[in-house]
Amino acid sequence: MRNPYLPLVATIQSVKEETYDTTTFRLKIDDPKERAAFTYRPGQFVEVSVFGAGEAPFCLSSSGHGRDTLDITVRKLGRVTSALHALGEGGQVGVRGPLGNWFPFEEVAGKHILFIGGGLGLAPLRPQIQDVYRERDRFASITVLYGARTPQDLIYRDELTEWQQAEGMKCLLTVDVATDGWEGNVGVVGTLLSQVKLDVPQTVAFVCGPPIMIRFVVQDLVSLGFGEDAIISTLERHMRCGIGKCNHCMMGDKYVCLDGPVFSYRQMKAMTELEGE
Amino acid sequence: MTARVLPLNRVDEFVRRLLAAAEVIAPRRVDGGDVFYGPIASPGEVAWDYSTAVEPLKRFLLPQREPILRFSTNGKLEVRPEYDETERVFLGVRCCDVTGVSVLDAMFGGEIVDPYYMARRERSTFIALTCQQPDAHCFCVCGDAGPFLKTGYDQQWTALKDGMLVEVGSERGEALAAANEDLLLPAQMEHIKERHRLAREAETRFGEYHAYAAAAMRKLTTAEVADEVWQQAADRCIECGGCTFLCPTCSCFTVTDRWEAPGRGVRERHWDACLYSCYSREASGHNPRPEGADRMRGRFFHKLSHQWAQRNGRHACVGCGRCVVGCMAWSHMPAVSEAIRRGAMP
Repeated sequence: MRNPYLPLVATIQSVKEETYDTTTFRLKIDDPKERAAFTYRPGQFVEVSVFGAGEAPFCLSSSGHGRDTLDITVRKLGRVTSALHALGEGGQVGVRGPLGNWFPFEEVAGKHILFIGGGLGLAPLRPQIQDVYRERDRFASITVLYGARTPQDLIYRDELTEWQQAEGMKCLLTVDVATDGWEGNVGVVGTLLSQVKLDVPQTVAFVCGPPIMIRFVVQDLVSLGFGEDAIISTLERHMRCGIGKCNHCMMGDKYVCLDGPVFSYRQMKAMTELEGE
Repeated sequence: MTARVLPLNRVDEFVRRLLAAAEVIAPRRVDGGDVFYGPIASPGEVAWDYSTAVEPLKRFLLPQREPILRFSTNGKLEVRPEYDETERVFLGVRCCDVTGVSVLDAMFGGEIVDPYYMARRERSTFIALTCQQPDAHCFCVCGDAGPFLKTGYDQQWTALKDGMLVEVGSERGEALAAANEDLLLPAQMEHIKERHRLAREAETRFGEYHAYAAAAMRKLTTAEVADEVWQQAADRCIECGGCTFLCPTCSCFTVTDRWEAPGRGVRERHWDACLYSCYSREASGHNPRPEGADRMRGRFFHKLSHQWAQRNGRHACVGCGRCVVGCMAWSHMPAVSEAIRRGAMP
């Protein structure tokens, strides 16, 4: 019997500073056999240990397609994330996973795909964007709408530039507060919806970001006529175990870690109702 | 699996044999008169005449704090798990507490097995003692958890006039009986009749507490509980966590790391309580259940809703009444169940 609490030892292969407080760590599992067996899909998450500081859940921000490493994009905020930032390239961590469910892919083939990300919420969307773009012939269109607080808060800048120039993908950016000579859109990410033409009945929206952003964007989408099953999001909770035992991520009748973290708006609405909101 | 009788004068010998093979956890009377479950060294320590133990059996399967991993960062990072593989017999424990273990079994078993819990559970034998003297706060009859059990035990003993009636409820229980057959006599019809009479009488001895679980379950399941109920319950609650720590089925835990020496540390899990304001708070400060009322709703939904009963095989209140004893704010299971039914706290 495999112990689901026992992490695999992994080494930080590279460190990429995304913003003043956010970093992408590329991890490589040390054991070659375990590394080969570690396959994951967009939307899934891992529990990462910095031994002595603790363990915390992070969504996988890389596509597992054709690679033997995994990325996590981390804001320096608490004990574990600070300890992780203190570790440099070559530092050793523990990895448990992949955990949770994943974004639908085959199920949304043929549809227009709309990604809406806020701040660090682009991290879980990134692998799905990459995978959908790789097989773009199988989708009607791909649109990415991304917003952050200020231009300094935009993550994956190189990739955003690529996406803006890519053929077969539309990528629009916005910031809440323009600084540093920002000449692009200003306003919450929902305002970008008016700049794109949508075939609503044929579109599936993937929405990730802070809770308040998700709430407003979902309202916007619903008023545009999106069905409750055509809006997909991922939820974040401080999952201590990631395997449905510690109960910290319980939401209504679901465990975010086991039944999610990917949920449709229909599911989220039912869970929220049971939580009394 | 037939019932047997363990004559009174052979009970001590039976316990001595248990002690020779395993750690025996039994009710013990401590200074001041309270009864706690704990390890015994001799048969004389067992308090056979108790009503309920102060704490349930939870800590013997899910300790309040337990090491789950040891790690060394000296040189190459090494991580290894640690298991408790002690053989244990739980002797003379109450039916409500044995039922509580069956809820823990569902929570820690299932598709993903918790190896620390299971290491202990697989080495545990439960000899339940039927209850003929419920305390004033007991309501196991409302929780389908006593005072006598139909299933869920390895052996169930009932104190008759001339000995213990030994009912067998599992292969493990049968093996234990078979290994001690020389101490046991076949049960006669009068023993069985006596057991049923005692069970009927016991059911008449319950006091004023009842959890109207059926009504509470229905309203929780369909999210029909008035917001005021949660607000009133939360207004009283002082968030001490006592009800959750005393509950046989509350099993929330958190996990922390601690250094024991330079480069050598331990990862431990600890009991946690869903009523604590920091329970689900995230590093960003975002708290999915920011108000006491949110947490109260979450706790009772998990305990009593049909949705979670489906997942765990039954609802998660066994009617042991410990939250009634422990709660200083009258915000315990019977009070809140009644409030759910009536639409306001009693």
